[in-house]
Amino acid sequence: MVSSGTLHVVSTEMTVGAFAMAGAAFLLAGLASHGLAGMRRHLTLADHVAHFALAFGLLAMPMAIVTGIQASPGEGVDHPLLINKMLLASTAFGLAFGVLLTRWRQGTAVWQDAWGRRWQALGGMASVGLILTTASIGGTFSRGESLLDMLHLPYEHVPLMPFWLSGLIIAVASANLVLLRRPAQG
Amino acid sequence: MRRASVFGMMAVLLLASSHGAANPSGVGSGTFDAQCGGACHGDADMNRSSPATVSVEAPSVAYDGLLTSVSVTVSDIQTTANGLLGVFLLSDLTGAGDTPADDGWAILSNSEGGTENYVEARISSGQTEHTVSWTLRAPSIGTYNLHAAVHHGTQDGSEAPFFGSTLSPTVVEVVEVPENLPRLAADFAPPTQVTVGEASEIDLQTEFVNSVTVEWRTVGGESKTVVVQPLGDETWSFTLPPSVQPVVLEWRAHLEGDGPSQTTPWFQVNSDDPSWSVDETTAYAQSLAMLLAATSLFVALQHRRTASELKAYEAELDDVGGEA
Repeated sequence: MVSSGTLHVVSTEMTVGAFAMAGAAFLLAGLASHGLAGMRRHLTLADHVAHFALAFGLLAMPMAIVTGIQASPGEGVDHPLLINKMLLASTAFGLAFGVLLTRWRQGTAVWQDAWGRRWQALGGMASVGLILTTASIGGTFSRGESLLDMLHLPYEHVPLMPFWLSGLIIAVASANLVLLRRPAQG
Repeated sequence: MRRASVFGMMAVLLLASSHGAANPSGVGSGTFDAQCGGACHGDADMNRSSPATVSVEAPSVAYDGLLTSVSVTVSDIQTTANGLLGVFLLSDLTGAGDTPADDGWAILSNSEGGTENYVEARISSGQTEHTVSWTLRAPSIGTYNLHAAVHHGTQDGSEAPFFGSTLSPTVVEVVEVPENLPRLAADFAPPTQVTVGEASEIDLQTEFVNSVTVEWRTVGGESKTVVVQPLGDETWSFTLPPSVQPVVLEWRAHLEGDGPSQTTPWFQVNSDDPSWSVDETTAYAQSLAMLLAATSLFVALQHRRTASELKAYEAELDDVGGEA
């Protein structure tokens, strides 16, 4: 028998490892697409590594979430750290999915102009940053400390919106995604 | 389609393994039979005998419908790295229908701050003995057995789940309440939880009682007496002092009346930090909202190129050999 705690460690390492690699590759892709540090010829490689690692991290993430819930003591999400972890992980998942969706729809053209390359690199790195912060909260919850404690992030505060506002955002965001499913009209 | 099937199958297999896994972080306190519904600790093919010694201390005589105190002491403790020790109070060891409630006992409180027959205690490193106390209302007249059992793992987590129990039951004879016996009212339920920093005012209902004195203590500490105010009609009021940190307070009442004087069992009151709670539906909704908002915002941010521009760029790439 393998415990949920052990599976959580495995799936978390897969998720964080994949995201960390994606983060480094997005940084290299950003530099390469801007022609900085003599990286231009490595853009294709960095682009592929960044998006494939991000996709792998996304696939591993649900497993980390499920095993994390099973391994946590008590019932449900009854601690501010767990709520913040869930909110950050969701945002990271959404942002990473948006980055991949954009890359899938637009192909390598996403690196074509300054606007696209800047936001693709920043979006990828931001999702990685959110995942690393999520992992840091996990460390604080299970061990009482983590590397990011030096930043004194307000993990104990939960910025919770009213239910109706969440519903409104879900409706607007869903409508937005449906409307944006085709390329812009030119 | 085929890829989706493979992915789905792998996900099901992975999830199935985690569902069948053990619970090294415990399952939380609850009302459980000795074997936890076929848990690893109760499976004779998997479990091992605990080296711990388990004993039950209970009065040999209890009065029908009145409160009594039972404590379970576990010595020679061996636990997992996180110090979890599960302790059961049971009416027998058959593994089914063996909670005290199955014999008619009603649990009013336990020293871990709950009202269940199974509690999970965290044992400090080096601690070899731990006692859990229950306050119970006695069942109808008769002779009853009380057992105790423990579940735990090992420090390195490499061995099987452990199960230990009392070697023989503790027998309690429940007898009829003597006439005019000073006692707590049958419907009195002592409080079990209080918030740190808040004094707890307790109203005590009694029967056949002329005067009451109450003493309190922290576990293992010296007992002190509090002032008891008579409110009339066999109701008394007293206040336990506020605690400055989470701690277990104990109190008991000495009841004087026309019948023989009585002393209640020690009642435990857990003072704890204000509990944190959140509307989980709101949190889950916000989580989904943030996921969709992040995706939507990023897609909108990058939604600038027309289909013709994208096609032209792909064609240009094909012309130069695919180099971006």
